[in-house]
Amino acid sequence: METLLLTQVINVVYEVLILAIIVLGLAVVMGLLNVLNIAHGEFIMIGAYTAYVVQKSGLPYVLAVPAAAGVCGIIGLVVERFLIRPLRYEPFETLLATWGLGLLLRKLVELGFGRGYRSVEIPVVGSLNFFGEAYPTYRLVLMGVSASVLAGLFLWYRRAPTGARIRAMVGNPVLAEAVGIKTRELARNTFVTGTAMAGIAGVMIAPLTPVEPFMGLAFIVNSFFALVVGGMGTVAGLFAGAGIIGGLQSVLSATVNPTTAYLAMLFLSILFLWQRPRGLFPRP
Amino acid sequence: MLTSFKLTRRNFVRAASAGALAIGAPAILRPAMAADVLKIGVLVADSGPAALFGPAQRAAAELGAATVNAKGGILGRQVAIVFADAGASPAEVAKSAVKLMLSDKVEMIFGSHDSAVRQGVENVVKGKLPYVYTPVFEGDDCSPNVYFLGEVPEQELQKTLPKLLEFAKGKTFYLVGNDYVWARTTNEKAKKYIGEIGGKVVAEDYYPLGAPNKFENTVAKIKAEKPSVVLQTLVGGDNVNFNRTFADFNLSDDIVRLSCLLEENTLMGIGKDASKNLYSSLGYFADIDLPENKTFIGELAKKYGDKAPQQCTISKGLYDAFIFASAVAAKSKSLGAKEFAAAAEGISFETPSGPMTMTKRHTTKNIFLARCDGTKFTVIDTFSAVPTQQSCT
Amino acid sequence: MASFLVRNALILAALVLLPLFLGEFWAYQLGLYFLYGLAALGIGLTWGQVGILPLGQGMFVAIAAYLTAYGLFGFGTSPMAYLVLPAASVVVAVFGFAFAALVFRGRFEQGPSFSLMTLALTLAAFQIANGWSSVTGGFNGLRNIPGLPGLDGFLDLYHLIAVVLALSIAGVDYLVRAPIGVLWRAIADNERRLAFLGYDVALLKAAGFAVACGLAGLAGALYAPQQNLVTPDLAGFAFSGDLVIFAAVGGRATVLGPVIGALVVGVLSAELRDRFPWWEIVIALFFILVVLRLPGGLMTLFAPLRRLSLGRNAVPVPLEAPSKPRTASPLSVAFEDVRVRVGDVTILDGLSVRTGEEAVLCVIGPNGAGKTSALNVMTGVLPKRGGRIVIDGLDVLRPEPATVAGKGVARKFQTPSVFPKLTIDENLAVALWAGRWRLFDLLRPSLFGWTSPLLEEMRGRFQFLEQGGKLASALSHGERQLLELTMALITEPRLLLLDEPCAGLSHEETSAVIEAIQWARQYLNLRIIIIEHDMELVRRLADRVVVLHQGRFLADGSIEEVQHNPEVQAVYVGGSR
Repeated sequence: METLLLTQVINVVYEVLILAIIVLGLAVVMGLLNVLNIAHGEFIMIGAYTAYVVQKSGLPYVLAVPAAAGVCGIIGLVVERFLIRPLRYEPFETLLATWGLGLLLRKLVELGFGRGYRSVEIPVVGSLNFFGEAYPTYRLVLMGVSASVLAGLFLWYRRAPTGARIRAMVGNPVLAEAVGIKTRELARNTFVTGTAMAGIAGVMIAPLTPVEPFMGLAFIVNSFFALVVGGMGTVAGLFAGAGIIGGLQSVLSATVNPTTAYLAMLFLSILFLWQRPRGLFPRP
Repeated sequence: MLTSFKLTRRNFVRAASAGALAIGAPAILRPAMAADVLKIGVLVADSGPAALFGPAQRAAAELGAATVNAKGGILGRQVAIVFADAGASPAEVAKSAVKLMLSDKVEMIFGSHDSAVRQGVENVVKGKLPYVYTPVFEGDDCSPNVYFLGEVPEQELQKTLPKLLEFAKGKTFYLVGNDYVWARTTNEKAKKYIGEIGGKVVAEDYYPLGAPNKFENTVAKIKAEKPSVVLQTLVGGDNVNFNRTFADFNLSDDIVRLSCLLEENTLMGIGKDASKNLYSSLGYFADIDLPENKTFIGELAKKYGDKAPQQCTISKGLYDAFIFASAVAAKSKSLGAKEFAAAAEGISFETPSGPMTMTKRHTTKNIFLARCDGTKFTVIDTFSAVPTQQSCT
Repeated sequence: MASFLVRNALILAALVLLPLFLGEFWAYQLGLYFLYGLAALGIGLTWGQVGILPLGQGMFVAIAAYLTAYGLFGFGTSPMAYLVLPAASVVVAVFGFAFAALVFRGRFEQGPSFSLMTLALTLAAFQIANGWSSVTGGFNGLRNIPGLPGLDGFLDLYHLIAVVLALSIAGVDYLVRAPIGVLWRAIADNERRLAFLGYDVALLKAAGFAVACGLAGLAGALYAPQQNLVTPDLAGFAFSGDLVIFAAVGGRATVLGPVIGALVVGVLSAELRDRFPWWEIVIALFFILVVLRLPGGLMTLFAPLRRLSLGRNAVPVPLEAPSKPRTASPLSVAFEDVRVRVGDVTILDGLSVRTGEEAVLCVIGPNGAGKTSALNVMTGVLPKRGGRIVIDGLDVLRPEPATVAGKGVARKFQTPSVFPKLTIDENLAVALWAGRWRLFDLLRPSLFGWTSPLLEEMRGRFQFLEQGGKLASALSHGERQLLELTMALITEPRLLLLDEPCAGLSHEETSAVIEAIQWARQYLNLRIIIIEHDMELVRRLADRVVVLHQGRFLADGSIEEVQHNPEVQAVYVGGSR
């Protein structure tokens, strides 16, 4: 049973890191811009379809990453211009608009690809021995990528001038504009970055899940809860949220049962939302 | 005067719209024609989670109607389909059923959708018309004037499980399913049959329906438990997700999997790299080698060409519904509830998956055990005339 | 009142007569959409009026539907079955009230997190309904629920639903026009201001949410006998989301909007669904268009019509407001070694100061001295880390805006804090009702006629207050300062806290304010604490001056005394700024 324990521990870490990478795009859009993008899952879905197309055309799988970032970025650009900006980045207005957007994107993908499941083959097959326990290589690769992306992001957000500008814009848009930050361009670029990140997350998880037009709905709930529990606009919050939501669900799912784990996640979210409405690590 | 009629462009448009008016005319002429056409309401999934079956359901139903019409229709009347979306909530679909009855004046309803929707429809139909429910389901429904063509758990498991043991390395079972009535009922029945063959259930896991499920934990437990068979009652995306995770953890070589609802579309999602030693038990596969099935698939190919949607047990049942209804009506000479029910009992009819017999409003039929080879099914055994063990009077 | 009755009688007549023209199927279909509309009506109330968006109303519909199902199983054909409907509605309303009161207690502006909590609740409710088969029937639901006794066929039930909906619309219409409706909109506008006037904001919000839950409960209670089946999908997120969409499309800020939205979206979906396979694309585009072009919903299209037909409510009869039970003595305050920290920054560093015999106390000190923070900690805006705050001789352990206001403390903020989306009259009324209303008063339209001698005096001094129908957002900065001062005064406080009351005022306005303050201290016999930078003002008003520096007490005395205090001079380098 020791090996089981080890595998389950890796599973918990895996689930947390995967959730973090799924939430990342939303964390950018919702955490920094206060846009409640409920179509976040659909951008992940489109990223996964891009991966499917890239793989079907016989191209190397890594090419799906720039391709998905491009496709989702362009859609993000159009959405920002015609939906988000006209609504002045208002949280609830954009929640409603992106609800319609999600439905639209699902149906358009269905129009193009049909409703059936597509499967994306695992690009890195086999298992690696991990402390004497075999664990699928692709998942280990994903964990590595996710961890390094998050670490890189953490450093970049702390150090790079763009990070400082985004923080300034979010903190006080009028003042930021006054000191010469082009808030409109910055907001647009931030939004597009968020949607492109969602697309990349889609490429990463495509080989693991059924690829179909409605797949995005499965991601949105956990993403929202992870964000609000962790606290929006901080990398620490992203980690904490993914850790609590993903970790709790994984641990309880392994030890009790999956339905209880899911319910526990929901009730814990309620508790956090009540007692820490701004999350564990909110933006100062 | 006829010579003066020149088909100018404007006149053509006018003539064309007059024609369009004539096509639209049945609405006006309906009273005169109503006696001739027998309308049947067909509930298919155009939206919602089951919408991937929608096109195939429509195709199967249309072929069923055409087949029946080619043989003179039902009660000497040509059959016409009125489709309605069954992919919404029970209340919405029940409303569509009311519309079918009151506005479209359908005389029968066929449906392929989940059981919650069926109960909604039953509540408004109230046994006034024959209602034929076609997909796989959990059984235990005896609503009046409702006829069940789908496979029940007893049929899927009773003969299949002993056969499956020939491929498995032992008699231990791990059950994994979605947390709802079909999966739980199927597993209750499964435990009985597993007991009968001297097998043992080592664990059961149920995943919430419609939640963002991940299966690494259960797969890890399976890896540690080393059962010989994993019996699955997962549906849709969860089915795909579990099986991909399972294969990813390199368990497919040693452990046999049997899914109780694995049809062609879901297998496409699972993909060829994850389908080794995966089996499915159902009343129909699109590739079964029967002359009736060759005709069925051939006709669909003729009608829809390359675009013919992938058939599976969920969609093909609607074709059967037409064959069943026409056979019963030929005997009952009426669609009246009493006459229809009396004639339905014991009636046999030929379908693409072989002969079926209606027994106590459920259907005795062939059950196939298929192995997945890549993204195709290979039928490895056929069990003839498997009874349902349901008893409605 | 007359227009209210006419309007709602018309709605009732229209709803009841509709099926005569449309036939039995439409009666069934509309009956279902009316139930959705009933639940959406509640969302309109909480979202459009109170400013809280509930994302899980389906759960309340579902709970009431399950409860009603059991009630109908139990009572069968007994007429008692009819009692089940209101009972189920009341049960979920009480549940909603308890949940909301608990969550809102002691917290402000919790909108988004409350929305997500309701979402989490309904997601959990769906799983519980799905899994708890022995009680809920699981995924397939509770079936064969008996209909209501004496009602046969679709038409009978339609009429019951239509009457319930019409009465509910009338009820909501009444509520949003009643004083409580003004308070709800005041919450959406400026929750803190309302709390500083002494209102229990959490209870008011919970009351609004409870009404919405009660309406969802009614919808669920009627759903059970209409469908004869209750399944968990009522608690599914899709249904709750649809209800929000109905309110958004129809117009959340209006009473009728959510019902119109339910009908339009419902009928549109139903008509498109069976004709056009890609109907959801049409719905999505339609919805996006409404959000972009008609943010107020479809009801915006009827706005000109409404103005035409309804006009404004009749002018209420002026009525002397009940006098406030008050001790006619100034309130004393004492800070004892009070410490406040925010993050790593020390704001108050052991502040000790107390009021004495003086009527007007001016607090001065350089920026960052802790002047405003002292008021904030006293009124519960900032938490204290140590020390005691004694108000009226009582040690207040955890001050909260409403409780401090209840002791007779009124506060006027540095930047004017009024209700911008309310009219001047409504702003004043909200202040005047504070501490004077009794239970059920908030349902009486006569409250709009309340006035007081103090209010009349202020109206005489500040002429712009006579334009009662003007929105506060349309006022100039100075006028908003005066409006807020008036609102603070007409609560007839024992202690008035003023934070730079004349900032941004013209010379005339400043004089008017000083005169008003001088007059009020005589008339009300109250104590006033003023934070002020303007020494001229201090000279004219102050009986005593207290100087703060770096979160501590530095000096006090008359204006001359502190000006000649060397320590004070050292702080104010360069003279008496």
